[in-house]
Amino acid sequence: MAETKEKSHSDEKPKPRVRPIVRLGIFLVSHSFLVSVVCFTSGVLALFLLPVLAKNTYISENALMPGSASPMLSNHHVSDGNRLVKDLTNSNLKSSETGIESHKIIAKYMLDVGAEVSFHKFHPQMNQFHPLHFFSSPDSGKIQENCSCSSYGINTVGIIRAPRGDGKEAIVLVTPYNALTSSFGEVLSLGIAYSVFSLLTQVTWLAKDIIWLVVDSQFGEYAAVSAWLREYQTPKFSSHSTLNAEMCPDINYLFEIKVHSMAGSKFSNSFRRAGTMTAALVLKVRDQSEQFDDTVSIYAEASNGQMPNLDLINVVNYLAVHRQGLRVNVEKLWSLLNSGWLKSLGEIFESLATIAKSLNPKFKFGIPATEYVEGIATLASSLYYQALGVPTGPHGAFRDYQVDAITLEISPKFSLDKVWCSDILLRGGRLIEGVIRSVNNLLEKFHQSFFLYLLTSPSKFVSVGVYMIAFALLIAPLPMVAASLYVDANSSKGDSSFLFAITDTDEHGITIRSWRWLNSAKSVFIVHLWGAIVSLLPYFICQIPDCSPTTSFMIWVLLSILSLLILNLVLASPLACVKASQEKEWALVKSVTISSVFIGLGLMSVINFATAEIGALLMVPMCLLARPLKLDVRVGTLRSCCRIICNLVLGHIAFPPAAFFLFKGMLDGFGSANVGDFWMWVESLWAWNSATYLFIGMVQLPCWVLCVSILFHSC
Amino acid sequence: MEKLKKKIRSFSFWNWVIASIIFRLILIYFPNNLNLSSRPEVSTPLTSFRRLSEGYWLKQLSMSPYAGSMYHGSPLLLSLLGPLTVKRIEGQPNHLLYSLVSVIADVVSAMLIRATGQNLQVAYFGTLKSFDLVKQIEGSEVHSPGDVAALIYLCNPFTIVACMGLSTSPIENMAVILCLYGACSRLIPLAAFGWVIATHMSLYPAILIIPVIFLLGRGPDAPPRKLFLQMHQEKGVLNQSKLPPCFSWGPIIHFAFWALLWSVYVLVLCGISLKQFGGLWEMFKSTYGFILTVEDLSPNIGVLWYFFAEVFEFFWNFFLIVFHANILFMILPLAIRLHHRPCYLAYVAVCSMLKSYPSVGDSALYSGLLGWFVNELSDMQFSLFLFCGYVGVSPLSPVMHNLWIWRGTGNANFYFATTMVYACLQIVLVVEGVSAMLNHDRKLRSLITGKPRDAKS
Repeated sequence: MAETKEKSHSDEKPKPRVRPIVRLGIFLVSHSFLVSVVCFTSGVLALFLLPVLAKNTYISENALMPGSASPMLSNHHVSDGNRLVKDLTNSNLKSSETGIESHKIIAKYMLDVGAEVSFHKFHPQMNQFHPLHFFSSPDSGKIQENCSCSSYGINTVGIIRAPRGDGKEAIVLVTPYNALTSSFGEVLSLGIAYSVFSLLTQVTWLAKDIIWLVVDSQFGEYAAVSAWLREYQTPKFSSHSTLNAEMCPDINYLFEIKVHSMAGSKFSNSFRRAGTMTAALVLKVRDQSEQFDDTVSIYAEASNGQMPNLDLINVVNYLAVHRQGLRVNVEKLWSLLNSGWLKSLGEIFESLATIAKSLNPKFKFGIPATEYVEGIATLASSLYYQALGVPTGPHGAFRDYQVDAITLEISPKFSLDKVWCSDILLRGGRLIEGVIRSVNNLLEKFHQSFFLYLLTSPSKFVSVGVYMIAFALLIAPLPMVAASLYVDANSSKGDSSFLFAITDTDEHGITIRSWRWLNSAKSVFIVHLWGAIVSLLPYFICQIPDCSPTTSFMIWVLLSILSLLILNLVLASPLACVKASQEKEWALVKSVTISSVFIGLGLMSVINFATAEIGALLMVPMCLLARPLKLDVRVGTLRSCCRIICNLVLGHIAFPPAAFFLFKGMLDGFGSANVGDFWMWVESLWAWNSATYLFIGMVQLPCWVLCVSILFHSC
Repeated sequence: MEKLKKKIRSFSFWNWVIASIIFRLILIYFPNNLNLSSRPEVSTPLTSFRRLSEGYWLKQLSMSPYAGSMYHGSPLLLSLLGPLTVKRIEGQPNHLLYSLVSVIADVVSAMLIRATGQNLQVAYFGTLKSFDLVKQIEGSEVHSPGDVAALIYLCNPFTIVACMGLSTSPIENMAVILCLYGACSRLIPLAAFGWVIATHMSLYPAILIIPVIFLLGRGPDAPPRKLFLQMHQEKGVLNQSKLPPCFSWGPIIHFAFWALLWSVYVLVLCGISLKQFGGLWEMFKSTYGFILTVEDLSPNIGVLWYFFAEVFEFFWNFFLIVFHANILFMILPLAIRLHHRPCYLAYVAVCSMLKSYPSVGDSALYSGLLGWFVNELSDMQFSLFLFCGYVGVSPLSPVMHNLWIWRGTGNANFYFATTMVYACLQIVLVVEGVSAMLNHDRKLRSLITGKPRDAKS
């Protein structure tokens, strides 16, 4: 696309023949306004069409064969699970000052069914700011020096060795459990896992090892799981792990007790491993529910918008719906469900579909309006959680090691008493058993189905090939407008180039025509450099002790403005003597800005599509409309007035904090908005190594600054 | 006034040089955070630092450094740089000394580029003078090509990354530039030395022999004699003294002698250092043989790895011949067309896209050399497009690599797409550069002969 700009101004002299593709390019560039309006509106429209275009999910990997075997989980196993639940609830009453007792009970139960048991002791690791983490491998060499003995967690790990396997592969079942404040739901999830576990020790079909990981969630579920995974995937060859144990005598003592009490069993004090993980399931049970049915909620988003393979979700969805009669749920933005305009949009699509169907009965693409609204709500939440880049549960830790994982949250219909408890144990256990059995059938790791998709309902998805069209339409105007601006700015001056300027036009102060954009590129570069500095500043600000979010935010803003001024003084001033001849300088700056935004959005769409999509919705109109206000005021027509208003509105909305507060206000209401919220949000972003943070700092903020500077350009 | 302006410019030149050196020194202190030495874009099997230190260790254990197909560089590099890979200073970053050597190599290269650029400028002005065109450019702003090229080389992120990635490409680049510098300033032994060393280290600079022959035979900027005759025909007088010198074979024979001497010297040194480990044959097999047969198919920013991973085994030899002959096929017509601008030919020769293991160090070299022709290429088309392309591709490559290797959501095609875009950019750069150069020559001719010709390609 960008090639066309050059071609077109080599076309000044009449030429006999122009290649068709060049002619097409010239046509697009010369009509860039119309083309960009059409492209942008169709991009937005395509985004709203996505629920209509969504396809039904299907099991892509043949080896999975979900539900082909009848479940083997019987009442016997359920009563096993019930026993564990009873014991744990009793132990809770007995000694709740340390969680060690309940871990001991779990370990004992695991040993009883003949599994290998070990404890994994970990120190919660504070999330740190690694601005370059995205580009490097998941590093884990960092060893914590200052671990105090008071804060540690214990994960209990039970491993069943597969009778038919070679021990090279494993399936992980995770149940978060906080021994200190255990709710009944957590205990019940342990019960479900245990009933499945006790079944799996007896079955003969198991080809992959089963790891049951009871994570200590007192420091957060994610931290515990990621600590265990770090230990699992990168064995430490230093003596640090043993050192820690020696440093803390009381923990050591407890471990000793266990070893003695369980002598002769498969308990081991060292870290136990099985093979590479094929899949991981995180199981939770919610205490109280507002649902009308027994439902399973699926959470799949991992860090930076990564999703597990779609097949895993399909298997769970298929087994839950068709075998266990559970309702499957994925996250929705509930506030969108009641919006009237979405409903009317859905009705329009529906009526269009019926008209199309009446024309040709083969056209069958319409969906009912209510389904459409639900689809949009699910899609919006799918986009939102992917864009945030923060994992929605402990399954996110697995994705960092390329393990497909999801969190299943079972919410029962009634409050949990004894009768319903057994029912949930049976159905939940059979669901887990079915999923494990079908993953067990896998010959290779998950690769058949999609990794890049958006869900519009548990059984409908939009694949990358479809949603990329909407995005491509959104950003397609950028290179065209950049090209046309570039051509305009260049052709406004006479043909002036080195050596021949004097012969053609007798002009002094010759600038190299083809390289005139270098000056604007420099100012764009400075702003982007500033963006990089701004995104590094929180690293230093959070070192300041006792800083409330609001003050931190203020310091951040002040330092940012200061650094912008300094950068301008140091780098820009010697060369900032913009020649009077460059009356079209803003056009060049805009052209380079648009090019940089195009590059940034294109890059981000590869890293995290959802962020790029939301960013494009904000930034593309702002970039395209930016034009010095003075020029518009001077013209004073209706069109320029509209442009001024649009520019001012977009200039306010696209500023990242403003966009954040607007979004937050739409979701939660404007009453509770606080300046410090933005700081907290940003802090959570960089704590989770979200690429969205880098995007905001290094693409969106500089783009906003450049657009605002174009608006106030004195020309 | 003129003097003051010049002073300001040179002052800012040194400022930029110092700033770029300081920037490199700062980066040396964060080797682990950036992890550049393990990036496929920076370190190829030929230039990788890890392989160098591995080869050094093997040699220390009195095994052949080429054992296990780890090291594929020159044995001389092992003796020169090997000790630096293990030397550590307490409390300093691990490879401080080695990085300092790379930084010094970069600075030396930049200085040589600057000197060569000044030579070229003098030669160019000489040509213009002989055509009585000097007054044409008096009013226009002439950039000093030496300064521009040196700054481009030093401040180019590619150069910085190659330098910080501890690859050996700064040293290879220095050898290439040494060769061109020697040829431009007619220091024939130096040119021969640079050529021999560059060829010895990475084979591909061997094709620099063509531009070097033209440089030595004709001088750095020799317009065609025909043009002179044409011009003077019109004026009616033919001043023999003003004619450019004919092609002289003397310096070339001189060069051949020195090249022979240096290569014998290098080979003897290599032979001595590899005496117990299979001798020179072993060295040729695992350096040149490794380069020519594209044995290592691990991803890099070239396109050959993907191609040879896909191609059937029995076509392998055929395509090897095709790809390597392609370089010669490209260079021969260009040599005929651009014989009067040997340095530009050298630039084209250097940016061989068909290298078997390219790295960003190569693009650092050719973009630096491109700076020599800042005045001639002022009308180059697609400059913004090319710039944006390079800016876009360089972060895309690590992102795609991450998607493929670490996240597992992408595959090899993702990364290969990036390398294809990169290759296309290089092709567009070469094509546009050459056509801009030819346009420039046409304009010159039209100015000289007074006949306005269509100056478009």
